[in-house]
Amino acid sequence: MAEEVRIKSRADTMKLTSYENRPWPVTPPPSREEVMKAYEKRRAAEFGKWCEDNLWFYDSWNKPEALRGVRVLEVGLWRLSHMFAGSILAEFGAEVIKIEPPEGDPLRYLAPFGRDEYMFEDVYTGEKVSPEFLHEMRNKYSVTLDLETEEGREIYKKLAATVDIIFEGYPPGYMDELGIGYRQLSQINPRLIYVWIGVLGQWGPWKDKVSKFGQWMLDPFGQVASGFVAKTGYPPDLLDRGKGGDPTRSGSWIADFTAGEQAAVNALAALYWRDYNGGNEGQFIEVTGSEALFEILDFDLSWYGFNESIKARTGSWDPCLNQYAWNPCKDGYMMIGGQTDRLWYRINMCIERDLPLFGRLICEDPKLKEVAARNALDMLIKTYTLTTMWLRTQNRVEVEEKLLEYDIAAGPLLFPDEVAEYPHFVYRPWVHVIEDEHYGHVMYAVPPNAYHMRTPARVKWIGRPLGKDTAEILLKYAGIDQWKLRELEERGIVKIYRPNFENK
Amino acid sequence: MCDIIWCKKCDTVNYLDPFNFWNWEGKIGCAGCGTVYYIHMINGYMYRGPEERPGETPDILPLYADQPNNGYEKFLPGIPGKTRPYNCLPREIYLGRADYRKFSIRGRPVRGWAPQPKSTGPAGSHPFIWQVEKHSPEVWQEFIEKKKKGEVKDW
Amino acid sequence: MERIERIPMEEQSGPRSREELEANKMPYEEFCRKLFDVGNEFSKPQALKGIRWLSCTMYIFTPHMVSNLAELGAEVIKIEFPRLADPMKHTSPFNEAYVYPLHDDRPLSGQGLGVINANVNKYFITLDYHRPEAIEVMYRLVKMSDGLTECYRPGTFDKWKISYRYLMEINPRFIYVWGGGFGYGPKVFGGSYDILGQAHAGLASITGFHEDFGGFPVKHTNWVIDWYSGTLGTAGILAALYWREKTGLGTMIEFSQVMCAARCIGYTWPLYGKWGIVRQRWGNWDTLLCVHGIICCGKSDYPDSKNPQLRDEARYVMISAFKDEDFKELCKIINRMDLYEKYQKHKDRVEATAQIEIYNALEEWARDKSRSEVTKILTEAGLLAMPVLNDKEIYESPHFRARGTIRWQADPSYGDILVHSTYSAGLLSKTPRRKYWDARPVGADNLRIYRELLGYPMSTIKEWYAKGII
Repeated sequence: MAEEVRIKSRADTMKLTSYENRPWPVTPPPSREEVMKAYEKRRAAEFGKWCEDNLWFYDSWNKPEALRGVRVLEVGLWRLSHMFAGSILAEFGAEVIKIEPPEGDPLRYLAPFGRDEYMFEDVYTGEKVSPEFLHEMRNKYSVTLDLETEEGREIYKKLAATVDIIFEGYPPGYMDELGIGYRQLSQINPRLIYVWIGVLGQWGPWKDKVSKFGQWMLDPFGQVASGFVAKTGYPPDLLDRGKGGDPTRSGSWIADFTAGEQAAVNALAALYWRDYNGGNEGQFIEVTGSEALFEILDFDLSWYGFNESIKARTGSWDPCLNQYAWNPCKDGYMMIGGQTDRLWYRINMCIERDLPLFGRLICEDPKLKEVAARNALDMLIKTYTLTTMWLRTQNRVEVEEKLLEYDIAAGPLLFPDEVAEYPHFVYRPWVHVIEDEHYGHVMYAVPPNAYHMRTPARVKWIGRPLGKDTAEILLKYAGIDQWKLRELEERGIVKIYRPNFENK
Repeated sequence: MCDIIWCKKCDTVNYLDPFNFWNWEGKIGCAGCGTVYYIHMINGYMYRGPEERPGETPDILPLYADQPNNGYEKFLPGIPGKTRPYNCLPREIYLGRADYRKFSIRGRPVRGWAPQPKSTGPAGSHPFIWQVEKHSPEVWQEFIEKKKKGEVKDW
Repeated sequence: MERIERIPMEEQSGPRSREELEANKMPYEEFCRKLFDVGNEFSKPQALKGIRWLSCTMYIFTPHMVSNLAELGAEVIKIEFPRLADPMKHTSPFNEAYVYPLHDDRPLSGQGLGVINANVNKYFITLDYHRPEAIEVMYRLVKMSDGLTECYRPGTFDKWKISYRYLMEINPRFIYVWGGGFGYGPKVFGGSYDILGQAHAGLASITGFHEDFGGFPVKHTNWVIDWYSGTLGTAGILAALYWREKTGLGTMIEFSQVMCAARCIGYTWPLYGKWGIVRQRWGNWDTLLCVHGIICCGKSDYPDSKNPQLRDEARYVMISAFKDEDFKELCKIINRMDLYEKYQKHKDRVEATAQIEIYNALEEWARDKSRSEVTKILTEAGLLAMPVLNDKEIYESPHFRARGTIRWQADPSYGDILVHSTYSAGLLSKTPRRKYWDARPVGADNLRIYRELLGYPMSTIKEWYAKGII
């Protein structure tokens, strides 16, 4: 029964596809019995069952947390780098306290394209929060504190005295100038592991800058400075410049994510050393987005040192592997990969079955028979032209089915809605919906470390209204009672969250 | 994209590379004999063409073409009048095969050439030293001379 | 005051020695430089000293998961198939760059540059798991190690009786990591690569220029998502190690690389989940901030260079002026105060149509300039801008040299190699990362492990080697 809908603005359309009308998943995943059949196909039924029994996602909340008892402060604005580092530890059960100024981290208020209707609302207060901030605010406490006041700093020092790790993301030297940097805090708490995370560095000729009006450097500066952008994107030989044939940044703040995870790894190693490998003391760690990102840009700078090659962008093709690319097909793009001889010939068999011309031109070419020579540019052009001739007549799902029959690593290029409904991802799941106290149904990316047998990472809550935990944390770790708290609030040093339970 | 023009006149296969030709209309010159073909491609399909257009000038040339019936004679990118150049390369030259190097860009020996003399011990074991002066004395000699000439740098 | 006096001197906060007092007075930058003491990494302890890890890995994702441990001080043994070795050793950009030797028996084959940086500090041995002799070797290794990372199709190690089900009986403290594409579920046997993760998890769909602007989804350069996923896996290993020290219990970790790509696309998920809105690509601009994007300038910085990456491509610059004052200053500089009048609020200028107008105006302004001119003008005005750097410029940057994050190293197998990994993953003041060597030739450390660690006699090793078992 069709209901008449008048669409006057974007906001009107949003109700039609909102969670209430379209709960996740739209299509239920296959049953466990059906999946058992998939394991049996390769005689791995027993092993498959063992994995499901021991790694089952929905058992996560029934298991202990690896970092229970580890306390972390996360202090910084604008960026995802320190937030991601904090998230990784928080997903493992560390107690992560995010310190925000009383007005909140500016990232809280950034809506995609500035559209208010994309903001999540706290059910009790109507306070709005950006989905970007919300998603990285997992399992964290929000505490407000004005570090620019003497009293705020004194409280911060008390907190710092009780924590194991600090992830800091302010401009270089800012915290030190305030008297609450590593230099000062390590004297209060010698076991403190202090991690500064930035874009270029807190020291050195190109250290992080702020504009003369105080604006920070944010990702993609890290992508730009690492060489990532120069090497990502289609060459003008395949698409015109200005129409896709330009160096391209990641759609995500990828340098922030890379720096954040390395910060977490370094901090955990330092923690292991401190507690279990004889260190018994903290240390200072510095991670930057630009360096953490060029760390993982393959062989690129080594190649420059070899013969002055400056790595160029090659679109969705890979200069080192053939086949290893996505190309357009009937309903989107299809990724096919398989570099070793074994896989190369299987791909060929699969395609040749439908397209005999492929056999004539690709399988028989002597140059394409040699694994290394296949990576030459001319061979890439030839291979992908013929492969796409095959792809253009088929949809992604047909191609995937055919290639999987030959055990080829192949997958469709999926859009977010398709990812969220892909049977395998729903079954495990990879995105999941949490029912949050404040924000209702929130879809989130499941922590990749959720599949640990004993101590899986998990999301317990997502998003946090500003200052929700100020009262509790300051009471517990700084001994601030109600009277003192009210006084601090009056002077603007903290902001206290007051839920309005009538709105529930 | 995603199609070829197999020119019957000269038995050359012209590869219409993906992305560039996915939606494309115009005239393309055969790398083998220069015959001009008109094509109109929509989402990878040859909607019209290839139709010969004698006497007209091509809008574009293929990046790569070859002749499978003639010993796989290749037309690599950038042959004037036959293929269009591929510009966005890491260097001014394109080899497509191993670039043998004996020295890094700061002039110190790097083991970047073949064949290499045998240098391993039992069961494939390899020491933690490259005995360059023993296995490749000519490279070592060249290195000493480079040093004398001041061609060995720190950066 | 009273309270402080009761605390013994050495426990009071504040400097406890003359050195500490000096350190407190030092300018901050100098303090950092001194503390990190670049170049002196080898005079400090190692965080993971005493940990031994087995790396039954290939390609980039799983090898890098383990090389992070090796850089932090763990001893790592990498097990490769005899002859074939890690397929990554056969990859090289456009087939142009190899170092030699791969193996004595194949003097003409090189080790492709593709494998560089992913297998730092590992000992390389060979073993054919299919042979009956292999199982004893594996069990011996497992008994004397802390963990293992493997990347074979699910069930493969189980068939060989070296999956966690078996190993936990031999060594209950053992931590077992499987790294791959999908893990348990309907697509359990689906193989995976970096690019598949990018395509399959939604990351590609939000990267690149929108079709309306003529673009296609863009792949992140080479194998970034493999590397990035590997590091996330390392975080999992370290958490498991920490837990093991408390409880004495190892664990099994199933780690999907495709999932990692889904983890790093931020607001995509909440936005879709709540309202069904599918995030789209937005090219070189930003969906949250404006001005905060990359533009193309009219002139190259190196018009006369022979290298096309310098001559044609050194034209892009990142400009960031999203705060009101910054934006106003930018509009003043490009002489378009009308844009400032029109889009005074950030909320308005970050809307899609406003972004198109603003960035077009910026490119118009930059049409007769080079990116270094643009950077200079904006930087002198106190704004933030930076050229899109290429490998040559990064190599020549005084910054990264001073920080030791790019450095030359004479590799014991391959000679003079420019290193941009390991040290750049983070500076640690007390337990810095370090790199001893890059990947080693196939089977280079067979004697070291089989003879010295596992105690097999020379005659057995030679026999196994001749039979192709190792």
